[in-house]
Amino acid sequence: MHTLYNPKQHVQTPYLFFTGKGGVGKTSVACATAVALADQGKKVLLVSTDPASNLQDVFEIELSREPVEIPSVKNLYASNIDPEEAASVYRENTVRPYRDKLPESVVNQMEEQLSGACTVEIAAFDEFSHLLADDGIFKEYDHVLFDTAPTGHTLRLLTLPTAWSGYLEEATHGASCLGPLSGLGDKKDMYQKAVESLSDGKKTTLILVARPEESTLIEANRASFELGEIGIGHQMLIINGLLQTHDENDEVSAAFYEGQQEAVKKTPEELRAIQTFSLPFVSYSLTGIDRLRQIVSDTPLVEFKEDDDNTELAPLSELKDVIDDFSDNNTRVIFTMGKGGVGKTSIAAAIAVGLTEKGHKVHLTTTDPAAHLDYMFKDSAIHKNLSISSIDPEVEVDNYKKEVITNAGELNDDEIAYLQEDLESPCTEEIAVFRAFADVVERSEQEIVVIDTAPTGHTLLLLDSSEAYHKEMSRSTGDTPESVKKLLPRLRNPEETGVVVVTLPEATPVFEATRLRNDLIRAEITPKWWVINRSLYATGTTDNVLKIRAASEKQWIKKVQEELADNCALIPWMKEVKLAMNK
Amino acid sequence: MKKVEIFDPAMCCSTGVCGPSVDQNLTRVASTVYSLEQKGMDIKRFNLANDPAAFADNETVNRVLQDKGADALPVTLLDGEVTKVGVYPTNEEFAEWLDVSVEALTQKPRVRVSVKLD
Repeated sequence: MHTLYNPKQHVQTPYLFFTGKGGVGKTSVACATAVALADQGKKVLLVSTDPASNLQDVFEIELSREPVEIPSVKNLYASNIDPEEAASVYRENTVRPYRDKLPESVVNQMEEQLSGACTVEIAAFDEFSHLLADDGIFKEYDHVLFDTAPTGHTLRLLTLPTAWSGYLEEATHGASCLGPLSGLGDKKDMYQKAVESLSDGKKTTLILVARPEESTLIEANRASFELGEIGIGHQMLIINGLLQTHDENDEVSAAFYEGQQEAVKKTPEELRAIQTFSLPFVSYSLTGIDRLRQIVSDTPLVEFKEDDDNTELAPLSELKDVIDDFSDNNTRVIFTMGKGGVGKTSIAAAIAVGLTEKGHKVHLTTTDPAAHLDYMFKDSAIHKNLSISSIDPEVEVDNYKKEVITNAGELNDDEIAYLQEDLESPCTEEIAVFRAFADVVERSEQEIVVIDTAPTGHTLLLLDSSEAYHKEMSRSTGDTPESVKKLLPRLRNPEETGVVVVTLPEATPVFEATRLRNDLIRAEITPKWWVINRSLYATGTTDNVLKIRAASEKQWIKKVQEELADNCALIPWMKEVKLAMNK
Repeated sequence: MKKVEIFDPAMCCSTGVCGPSVDQNLTRVASTVYSLEQKGMDIKRFNLANDPAAFADNETVNRVLQDKGADALPVTLLDGEVTKVGVYPTNEEFAEWLDVSVEALTQKPRVRVSVKLD
């Protein structure tokens, strides 16, 4: 068993970055750490740049960009920065001067190019840098805590010498990912200083937060490797929400406990080398100072009395209803979409098997490693009407790059280097994967196609505008694959295509799913179903700790039901991944 | 020497590899422009995503956009006059305007071997 996390003993550097997959409790752990350090007499600044941040709820106070003193905790200051807002301010500043100078179609094209995920990422880094490079902040506070960390991709971009010499200055070779930085070449020193502070182990600790679940541990391992490679070597792992005891007589409780233990045992090798602590699974929610103090105290398990939650939920559908609906409407293409770790592959597989059982011919495609699906179907013979294929993003990107280089014709070394640099752009993966599944969707004329991923609205809109552009080019090139051209109108046709948003009954996953949905709606695609996966509430557990957690899911289920979904299904938490065959 | 200006649509990158298909035409233009720049020719490219001011401030380009919208891009100006709308110039056109041979635009330079003299 890992030692319980105690910030007073375990925190050693002035800067702390918390990173981890959405929903692992980064913000809660950061807040508890901040309160503990402040209680020790240290002057602490807690900065939230998580767009899903619930810092305001946690401290029960209105926050802004400027640090505000938390009234109930001496020495603790907090500030809240929304990088999406920062990105949209940047976008608006860039576009506004041209609104009345250039026609609308031209302005729209500019706006879409500035709406990608990387614009938000860079805007967030810009905010970090101000604080990291400011000696004043460093002197004023003993500790500065960030509830998110920059990604390896952002940092790599910034460490490329070309980011400064080429990308930012040469209009002929600008990458829009770095949009928020362009024209700001004078910030170079600030960014360099920020990167230096990050890689100084005496100044900065990277705190990887994970749940005792395989997918979050894998994500922590990936972040650890990627950020370590860039030089952020001082790292610590916190496994959050480890169930300490369980009710032997409650089937759900026992399975939940065993599932956690197995996941922890399977912690990736490299991650084991990192200093690791744990925080217990507690029934109380981490809002309010008392609870934050208690979770990192010597007695974290003492109960808080929760108010009785009398929220009534409207009747919910089950996965069976989702399958019936698609079967009855003869939907040809079904996408399950959601952030990693919500179980969208299992849901896609379950839908595919369900439709096969109803007599449809089904093709299931997954972007997860194929081994995963093989595992899911291991114990049962796959129905003869179900075929399975997989798209490996890495292989697709590789093929795509090769195709580009080969088709580019006669190039000299300089030119190849130039082309390769463009191919490192983050859009490459999305485009390569998108092309691969455009080919799969072609099959839907003969069979129902179920895919465990979906393009983002941003990609679709980019393709839409480039499609118009390619029409102009078709006389000279005519090389947009037929499958890609046909795809967008088909995706937009609700008779033909159904999108299923998969999420979990918790704050961050619901927030992230909402963002995916809004992005799709921008591209004129409305999800047909929302599936809320792994609900403890739906299990009817009687375990003392789990049942309080289960009740806290109700507010999120209600939110999805009432505000977000046209149709909503709830799926109980299950230990086995064999979900598909057990319905 | 003649002056060539190319006004691109908004794109991530000037080689077009982020598009739905590899556009050979875009990769060709990117490398041709690059090699012409290396030869010291007066040739410039503007990307709408990074340099909207160039589009708004250039009266000729602005007029084309007001008339035809974003579909008019790419627009090519030769000595300030519109020569191409909605398509990129061919290598033959580049060669003619800038008085270089077409071969010079496509030919591979000799491999450079660097020798270390310690």
